[in-house]
Formats: sequence, C-alpha cells, structure tokens
Amino acid sequence: MTTLTASGLSITRGTKRVLDSVSAEFVPGSFTVVIGPNGAGKSTLMAVLAGLLKLDAGDVTLGGVALGWIAPKTLAKRRAYLPQTPRAEWPISVERLVALGLTPQLPFFGDVAPDEAVKVRAALEACDLLALKDQAATTLSGGELARAMLARAIVGDPPLLLVDEPTAGLDPRHALDAMARLKTRVAAGRTVIAAVHDLGLALSVATRVIALRDGRVLADIAAADVDAALLKALYDVDARIVRDDAGVSVRYL
Amino acid sequence: MNGRILSFGLFAVLLAAALASLLAGRVWLTPNEVVEGLLSADATLAGLIVGELRLPRLTLAMAVGASLGLSGAVLQGLLRNPLAEAGLLGISTGAALGAVVAIYYGLTASFALATPLLGLVGGFIAAALAFALSRSGGTLALILAGAAVSSVAAAGLALALNLAPNPYAAFEITTWLLGSLADRTWDHVWLGVPFMLVGCGLLFLTAPALDALSLGETQAESLGVNMRRVRLLALTGTAMAVGAATAVTGAVGFIGLVAPHLVRPFVGYRPGRVLLPSALLGAVLLLAADVGSRLMSYNTEIKLGVITSIIGAPFFLWLVLSMRRRAP
Amino acid sequence: MRALGLSLIAAGVIAGGVGLTAGRSVPGHAAAATLPPHPMRVMSLNQCTDQLVLALLPPQRITSVTWLTRDPLTSRKATEAMQVGANFGAAEEVLAQHPDLVVTGVYTTGALKVLLRRLGIAVYEAETPESFDAIRDVTRKLAAVLGAEGEAEAMIAGMDGRLTDAARAPTHLRVAAWDGGGYAPGAGTLYHELLTAAGAVNVAAEGGVNQYAEFDAEAVLMTAPDALVQGVPTPDEPGLRREAETHPLARRFYAERTVTVSQWAYVCGTPYSAEAVTMLAEAFAALKAKGLDSPPFGAP
Repeated sequence: MTTLTASGLSITRGTKRVLDSVSAEFVPGSFTVVIGPNGAGKSTLMAVLAGLLKLDAGDVTLGGVALGWIAPKTLAKRRAYLPQTPRAEWPISVERLVALGLTPQLPFFGDVAPDEAVKVRAALEACDLLALKDQAATTLSGGELARAMLARAIVGDPPLLLVDEPTAGLDPRHALDAMARLKTRVAAGRTVIAAVHDLGLALSVATRVIALRDGRVLADIAAADVDAALLKALYDVDARIVRDDAGVSVRYL
Repeated sequence: MNGRILSFGLFAVLLAAALASLLAGRVWLTPNEVVEGLLSADATLAGLIVGELRLPRLTLAMAVGASLGLSGAVLQGLLRNPLAEAGLLGISTGAALGAVVAIYYGLTASFALATPLLGLVGGFIAAALAFALSRSGGTLALILAGAAVSSVAAAGLALALNLAPNPYAAFEITTWLLGSLADRTWDHVWLGVPFMLVGCGLLFLTAPALDALSLGETQAESLGVNMRRVRLLALTGTAMAVGAATAVTGAVGFIGLVAPHLVRPFVGYRPGRVLLPSALLGAVLLLAADVGSRLMSYNTEIKLGVITSIIGAPFFLWLVLSMRRRAP
Repeated sequence: MRALGLSLIAAGVIAGGVGLTAGRSVPGHAAAATLPPHPMRVMSLNQCTDQLVLALLPPQRITSVTWLTRDPLTSRKATEAMQVGANFGAAEEVLAQHPDLVVTGVYTTGALKVLLRRLGIAVYEAETPESFDAIRDVTRKLAAVLGAEGEAEAMIAGMDGRLTDAARAPTHLRVAAWDGGGYAPGAGTLYHELLTAAGAVNVAAEGGVNQYAEFDAEAVLMTAPDALVQGVPTPDEPGLRREAETHPLARRFYAERTVTVSQWAYVCGTPYSAEAVTMLAEAFAALKAKGLDSPPFGAP
C-alpha cells in the first residue's frame, strides 16, 4: 500500500508558521506537483513528506502507518528523496553513486546486494548514463549530475519518489528530459511528488497540483484545472495559460 | 585497483616491515638469532631483546598506527573532508593532558602504568565532554565541541608545563609529548591494545554509512542511515582507539591525515573502502617511523612524533596547495 | 567491513579479559632483583651517578657510563669516562652489556626503570642531593651498594676539609647566581649550598624562596648584589643563558664582578662540588680585596 497521506501538518519556526495545517493525499500512479512562491514552504513540505523533519502538529502516514513508526531502512526501500541541488561529496564513479541507492538493501554482512549489478545497469540505462558510468561524479555537468542522482533514486525501484526542484539549473533540453523520466515512473504505477518552479513544464506532465502559499494549501486540484486566477492568487502576477497539443505554456504579463 | 588487492598488498608490506623491525636497533640481529631467541627456553640476549623489547614495541607500533590511520579515515568520511583528523575531536589532546597530569604529580614513581592509564581516562573525558556539548546538534556541532575541548586541554598542558616544579619535570613532560615507543613493555600492550581493538572495531562498523554519506547527510538519512548512531560510533571508536594510542605513545600526528589520503585514489574514492587500507598503511607508516627513530638516533633519541611531523607536515602543505588548485 | 568490525570488537574484549586476568597488566613493580654484594659489572645510566661511579670504582668494574660524561665542560670525570664504555641509556644496551648492577637517578625515564626491573636486572636508584649533608648520605649509600666504602670516606674527608677551609673567613659578599635565564637558585638547591659554603649571601634566597626562584633583571636591580655568579659560558650552546653576558645590566655594572663556576659542580651533587666551593671562596675573597664588596649602583 503506497498511499501517502498528510493531515494537519504544522511546523512553526520562531514566529513564522512554515507549514500551517497542510493536508493532502497522494495515491499510486499520481504525479503531484507542488508549486508556490519562494518561502512558501515547498522544500519543508517535501522533507516532511519524506519523513526527515519533525512536525509540531499533524502526521504523515504511508499505507496507513505513521512515518515515525516505520523503520528507517524499510522506509528507505519504499520511498526515495532527492533534495534540492544534490551533490556528490567524493569523486566516486557514476556507477558507484547510482549503486548507493541500494544502501537500504545491503545485507548486514558483506557489502554487495545480490543482484546489484543488474539493477544498477538498468538504472544507468534508463537515465542514459551508460557512457558516463566510470566518470567521476564530481566532474559531471549539471544535467549529467541531475540524471545520475535520479538514477540513484530509482535504482531500488521505490514505489514513492519525492523530488525537490528536479529542473533547477538545467537547460531546457535536460529539464524536459528530467520531467519526462519522472513521467515514465508514474506510467509504471509509481507515485511521484515534485516541487517545481517551472510552471509550464510542471503543468504539462503533472496530474495533480498543490499550490502552497505562506505554508497553507491554497488549492489542491487536477493539473488541468489550474487557471490564471489561481496563479494570480499564488504569485501576485497576471498570467495567461495556453493549453494545446504541444503542451502547456504559461505567459506572465 | 581493487580495494581487496590493495589491502592484501599493504598487509604483505606490513609483514615485511614487522620482520625488519625485529632485526633493527642498537643491537642488530640476524634472522637466525631472532628465531633462536624466540624458540629457546633460556633467556638469551637475542631472545630477551626480541621477546621483551622489540615484540611489544612492534605490536604497539602496528596497533597505534592502525588506530590513527583508521580514525583519520573515518573522520574524513564523516565530514566529507580530506583534511579532517582525529585530533579535531579533542581526544588526543585530552589523552595527552591525562598522561601529563600523571607525570606532573610523579605518579609514575609509585605506579608503573600511571601515565598510560591516566591518558586513557583523559581521552574518554574529552570524548564525553565533546559528546555532551554537541548532543542536540549535528556533525558541525560535534567538531566545534571537539575544538573547544581540545583548546581547554591544550591550555591545561601549557599550564602544567608552566607550573612544573623543576626543569627535569618540564623536560620529561615535553619529551613525552613528542611521542615515543621506546621502553614500552608487554604491560603497555595489555593495557592499550584491547582498547585499540574495540575502538577500531567500532570504527569499522561505520563503513556502510560513510559510503552513503557521499551523497550528503540529507540523502544518507533518506537511505536509512542513522546519523546520530554514526557520530556516536565514530566518537566512541576514536575515543577508545586514539585515546589508548596517545596514552601509550604520546602525541604522534599526521598518520591519520596522510594514510587515508594516499589510499583513497586506489579504492575509487569510496569512503567505506578506504578504512581497511588506511588502517594497514597507518600501521606501516608508524612502524617505519619507529624503525627510523631507532636507526637515526645516535646520541639522543629522535622522537616518533618528530619523525612523523618532519614527513607529514610538508605532505600536509602539499595537500592543501593541491586542493586549492583543484577546487578554487 | 561489518564482519571485520565485530570480530575486532570481540578480539578486543577477549584480549582485555586475558590481560586483566593473566596478571600481565597488574601495575606496580615486578619483584625487584636483589642487589649483588660486590658488583663487578656496573652500568650507570645517569650523568650524575656516572660521576660517583667513576670516582668510587676502578675502570675494570665499570661496563659503561652515559656518553654525556665524556664532555669536560659538564663532567668532572671526563678523562676517566674515556676509559670505560659509553652508553646512550637504551634498554638494548643494558641487555647487551649484561651488567650485574644498573645505577640510575630519580629522573631516569620511568618506563626504562620499570622495564629493567621486569627483566630481572638489579637496579639501584640514587637520590639527587641538594645539600652537603645529602651529598654525604647519597655517596655513602651508593658506596655501600658498590662495595667501595673506603673510597667514599676518603672523598668525603677531602670534601669536609675543603668546606672547613672555606668556612674560615667568610666574605659575606652578596651574590646572585643569575644566568640571565629568568630564574636563580633559592634555598634548598645545591647551588645555594655552594654559595653559602663559599661564604657568600645568596640574594635570591632572601625572600625565603625555596627551589628555583623567579629572578629577572628587575630582581637584580632590587636586590642589588655585589657580584654575579654564572655557570661557565659555553660558546657553542645557544640559549637564554647567553643573554646574561650580553644583558646591558650585566655588561654595565658587573663586567668585573662576575665569578664563573663549572656546571658540573652544581648540576650533580658529588663530593667534588667542594672544589667549586674552594674556587668560589677564593674568587669572592679576591673581589673583596679589590674593594668590590658593595653594590655597584647604590644601596636599595
């Protein structure tokens, strides 16, 4: 069971309410995009949904069990989390970096998961990294590193994938690629939740949108239902949304 | 190169160095004499030298070198920084202060193993303090707490030197601080090695977490790594291993910095794979320094810590310069 | 890695247990070997005990003394030291020379003393004398251990003779044993005993100071000694001590009022220290004869 349910999430830092009674449900096969202005609490929400931040109120359950009650290793097998601008700390090979995604599957003794090589290769292939598999991770370009991190997130085939800003700093081609790959995961029945700034791209691939502002959920609707009024309420900016067969584009006026 | 091949190779080098160290010293022995001495039932000169002087010294050199190399590797993996060393946690300075207190109050006269024992106590107190100070914080808090504890202990050392009752005591303190394995006996081995074994064991347990830390702490946590547990393992392991090592030999630096750096390229920079080769190379380096100390000293003993500094400091400088070139 | 880690922990715990129960880590001295009545192979590991051993025993009964004793500037028995072996205080040398008695001082490395006792070697630890009474005591005790009581009594008689001579006409000159090193010997040190026995008054001990007192240029001005006493200047030894020769105060006021004494006299307390007393007394008398028995810059 991989339905992720958030109810009444609240976090207060000092006097600021970073998250204010946020509730949402994420069912398998859905691609939810979290949008909102800077400081809305998107990253905090992502970290909370990943089970990495303590709440002041409310809880998050995965398949009916509160995240706090799931053993970290088990949780790691069931959900993958990519923070904003992930980086590699050592110049390990791309192949090793991707293999790190299998850490939760490591047996207690010995340090190689049984079919590690097969899974790693599959992930490398899915992210178009075979040519780079022996290159040092610290020498990769932005786009290549983003692919490598995504590969490490999907190598264990987690049912739930949380990505914070998957397209940050990527050129249009790589940004498109990244979102397309996330879409493939969804097509395979997994759940994806992503916090995104690039609205046009987000609305093209997502099935659902959660709009966050000042820690509060402004709207929780299907992606097709997002309109200019919502964008105005969210960003204080006039916008026009155009939907055609090429995708969705958002123009700011 | 496979990490396993590297470890085997280093182990072979270590064995060779160990055998050489049994032969070298003021009284040079041939391999025959060594074997005969060890096997004969009566106490021959060679037997005594090898059995009571060189074997304990060799055991300690390997244990201390391995402890220093391993803890340096773990610290560097934990902090993701190749300049980190066990000294950052304040444990070596704490151990030094404990031992100096024993020398200062002349406890060695009445109680033979006072110096290493109090050194151990000092190391543990320093570790406990650093841990208590950084309980609620993260890795950075641990390092800052360690730096604070280290400064306090260093101030204590300076005070002890200043208030030394006579020039001889001051001299003994300073000499001890320079680091030495001379005249260490099996008593030192039985006191220090169990702690070093347990400490190193705890440090080895951090290997999978260190690998995951290549992705940063957040991603590592998301992969199920318990950062608090890793920090605790690193701290306790270092306290036992490096605390015992410093308590027995005095302050020997640079091994923990140099050994991991030298082996890292050969294991593909994987922090988990660096551990065993670092321990082995640390043992080799310290053993070589100890043999060097025996051979180079003609009148006065050239201290172990001095040798490691003379070789380690220029290396450290080169390391910093090359890092600046690579990462502006 | 984890398997290695756990096995090391297990090994450590077992080793710890064995160490504790097998008695190897029991602290304290191993049963000390009894001292032989008439040792024929004596090895001295301490510069001060070297002097006494060389004075009390013929070279045939000495296997080696420390290499430091061959330096005439710091050793009274340098020539005699050349006739016996030289050691560097290493345990391996002790084993190689298999002496039947090892003589050490209080400040010999603790680890070495413990090691020697562990190996069942007879070790005698001589105390450091800080007065002439103590010198007599230490010399007699060592002589008893070495079986050389006669030689000891002869030396002590000679020492007592010199001391009596020096006590005949004390000059009461006010002196400071100032090497420029920031401290001077107070009461309770051998140096102080030398100065007093030579008939002078040690200004550094005036405040009731014991052991080594803080004594800098200001103290010199405040106590206004008539003369300075310095250890023999050694031209190739760097260190603070050279400052005294070049300290403006010393140059200006004490250029003609500085008495030198050999270091071996006050670093190691032996009956030979009385020779220094004789030399000091003569030097003080000479100063007094020249009329240099008042402070060079007005009384405080």
